[in-house]
Amino acid sequence: MKEKKEKQPQTSSQNLKEQALKEKSIMASLPDNLELIRQQLGNSSDIVIRQVGLPGEIAWAVVYTDGLADKQLVSEFILESAMLHDRVKEESKHDPASISPQLLASNVLAIGETKEISNFGQLFTSLLSGESVVLVDGHAAAITAGTRGWRDRGISETLTETVVRGPKEAFTETLRTNTAMIRRKIKDPNLWLETRQIGRVTGTEVSVMFIKGIAEDKVVEEVRIRLERIDIDGILESGYIEELIQDETYTPFPTIYNSERPDVVAAELLEGKIAILVDGTPMVLIVPALFVSFLHSAEDYYHRFDISTLIRILRYIGVFIALFGPSLYVAITTYHQEMIPTQLLYSLAAQREGIPFPAFIEAIMMEVAFEILREAGLRMPRSIGPAVSIVGTLVIGQAAVEAGIISAAMVIVVSTTAIASFVFPSYSLANTMRMLRFPLMGLAATFGLYGIIIGTFAIVLHVSSLRSFGVPYMGPFAPLIISDQKDAIFRMPHWAQVTRPKLMNRNNKRRQQKPASAKPKP
Amino acid sequence: MARKAIWLFVLLLILTPLLSGCWNRRELNDLAIVAAVGIDTVKGKYLVTVQVVDPGEVASRRGSIGLSPVTTYHETGDTVFEAIRKMTTVTPRKLYFSHLRIFVIGEELARKGMGEVLDLMSRDQEGRTDFYIVVAKDTTAQQVLNILTPIEKIPASKLYASLEVSAKSWAPTVAVQLDELITNIVSPGIQATLTGIMIDGDPEMGSKRKNIETPETPTHIQYKGIAIFREDKLVGWMNEEESKGFSNITDRLHSTVVETTCPKGGKLAIEVIRSKAAIKAKVKNGQPEAEVVMYTEANVADVECKVKLTTSQTLYEIEKAAEAVMQKHAERAVLKAQKMKCDVFGFGDAVHRAAPGYWRGNKEHWDEQFSKMKIRFNVDVKIRRIGTIGESFLNDLKE
Repeated sequence: MKEKKEKQPQTSSQNLKEQALKEKSIMASLPDNLELIRQQLGNSSDIVIRQVGLPGEIAWAVVYTDGLADKQLVSEFILESAMLHDRVKEESKHDPASISPQLLASNVLAIGETKEISNFGQLFTSLLSGESVVLVDGHAAAITAGTRGWRDRGISETLTETVVRGPKEAFTETLRTNTAMIRRKIKDPNLWLETRQIGRVTGTEVSVMFIKGIAEDKVVEEVRIRLERIDIDGILESGYIEELIQDETYTPFPTIYNSERPDVVAAELLEGKIAILVDGTPMVLIVPALFVSFLHSAEDYYHRFDISTLIRILRYIGVFIALFGPSLYVAITTYHQEMIPTQLLYSLAAQREGIPFPAFIEAIMMEVAFEILREAGLRMPRSIGPAVSIVGTLVIGQAAVEAGIISAAMVIVVSTTAIASFVFPSYSLANTMRMLRFPLMGLAATFGLYGIIIGTFAIVLHVSSLRSFGVPYMGPFAPLIISDQKDAIFRMPHWAQVTRPKLMNRNNKRRQQKPASAKPKP
Repeated sequence: MARKAIWLFVLLLILTPLLSGCWNRRELNDLAIVAAVGIDTVKGKYLVTVQVVDPGEVASRRGSIGLSPVTTYHETGDTVFEAIRKMTTVTPRKLYFSHLRIFVIGEELARKGMGEVLDLMSRDQEGRTDFYIVVAKDTTAQQVLNILTPIEKIPASKLYASLEVSAKSWAPTVAVQLDELITNIVSPGIQATLTGIMIDGDPEMGSKRKNIETPETPTHIQYKGIAIFREDKLVGWMNEEESKGFSNITDRLHSTVVETTCPKGGKLAIEVIRSKAAIKAKVKNGQPEAEVVMYTEANVADVECKVKLTTSQTLYEIEKAAEAVMQKHAERAVLKAQKMKCDVFGFGDAVHRAAPGYWRGNKEHWDEQFSKMKIRFNVDVKIRRIGTIGESFLNDLKE
């Protein structure tokens, strides 16, 4: 804390300079302005400055960033329309000074989005985010034209949250595309969008999206405050924002949900949650997040409710296995052999004959080997993928067992655990389980089942104490909210989900007016 | 300051599991899994025999290399526990008793009194008291545990399984676990019983691998008879018929075969499918009396005579015949017990429930009272089904 205070003066003098430039008004002289722009941007080659006018009497100029602005738009709807415009032609011959930026904006430019600006701060922001800036000689103002148009990946199928039934599209790296995808799903004037730039250097656009009237005002305000507090040089992914605004840093559990599916975000918005969209990443943050939402898949709502419920229960079993699988095996085989059915004990003991390592070391070795394989599978170039997986399967699956280093039962346990950790719709929760598995294994190896229970207690106490933007993380289990159970472990039919989750909403609770009206008549 | 305290706490938390040193940890391959224990008495000392499973031989998929699936160790000691611990000098691993399937008591020890050896088994924290206890008949426990058995590679598992199956579907065996045995030993109103196990064949031969190499095993172990105990001492044996009667009276009968005669000669077997028995006692003129009500449902299982099964009259006759046979078994069992003055059926408990006052004055010499007690039987057999065919084809034979 002390160190920070000492450094303050240094940075602030630099800040003051930047601040001064940002607030510097645009000058009346066009050459001066252009000179300043060139100088400030270090003559960067991707800044295009197009000057228009008779030789020696430059009347006005268009400045844009090559690659960010759509060249065709600039040339067709700014340059062409201005140069061929009768009045502009006329006036520029007689009295160039009479062409005001306002005139251009209102009368000449065939561009939907125009804005008048007066200082360099705004000018640079617009310029560097792809807009074109029109400066006119003799006027201390500029017009920005919305000519954003850069190459992007295009909307593609989701890779991280795949579904069988349901929309396949995923967000892209472009903020505007993403907001449009949500708007397309929710055509309601109450869907509000607040955009700000965060990041001293990157100036990343961050949008807060919520449905006015459904989202709790206090939570929206809290999100604003927390975003306002961020002071960092760059935001490159929504993970930056997540870490900067979450309630609790020292927890293995994710307290902010993220998704790359527009339908998930739309559904969450309808429940009164708030989406935070960050330019440059397809991952959209959703707050407040509940533990249960990490176990819900979009598809749960698209399939029939009965199968959805069963699949959810399956996922909870998956959580249990992913978290406790190896530790239960270690605890029971090293401390509680009397719990194993006799025949199974014989077979397990036979498999362990000649294994040189204790079960715990065996389990750790296998788990680490698996984690390495998994990480390698993620990071390696696609083309070597098959080679690594073949080597991995052979080494871990077969050779280790045949060489008598690892028992076959351990391979089964570890691989079941590994598969179980992939049933989570949310990757961030899978990581949590992955992380907690190791301390639990340690506890199991030292205290047996007793240790596992201690560990479970610690985890349960911890998650129960967590909050996400003021909402209890373990809701609707702790605190127990009966009416919210309709969409936690169970997924009731849509006609039975009359109210929104109580934890999120206090004022606008109803989803449907008459509970029975939507229910099919017998 | 507060931060230091937190770090210190975290450090301690991490160190705790590391320093605890896994005090009770045993890997599966450090265990010698004991499947059966046998105890005999030799010159005033206990001879303890344990049957240890070689899991590699039992469960390996690669096929065994012909070693014995189990190994027996034996050791003598003044106490059972001493003998067991002494055994570590010969066993490669520490004996592990939780998966004990069967506990064999030598007949000699049983006659002398087996109370002392049972204490260890119920006291030891490692034990799981779900094993069965049997008595070696005309032999020693050590010899019984040395016999190799086919199909069920582990002899102890064979003993366990066949006792369970025969008690359920044949009846003249009782599957007794430790808790029940101890309760019966100490209760004045009922005496303990255990099933006997016999070696059929040459014991020497039975302990060789050769024993299980031929389809017909030269030596096998077989349950036979029920041992009657007075407190913890064996006093006599019931034969098969008596044992059936015993099972029936004590409501242990699940299913069995009752052999009767056909009305016109020849044999007919019925299969008991459901049976219920209750002892009703009362004291009349200062004398205890009891009535055993036995209600049995049965199917016709095996007709080996000419009989017209499809008439209710025949079925009625068969029922009557079966009732007579069952009553005869029960009477014989009671007679035997009365001769030995050993109330193995729990008539004492029934009297206790019916007339607590009388019981208080007579429980000290209940054995005497029991031997003179009048016991009536009320047997009711109902034939439910006659199987998948109606009349027997034997009727069509000309002969």
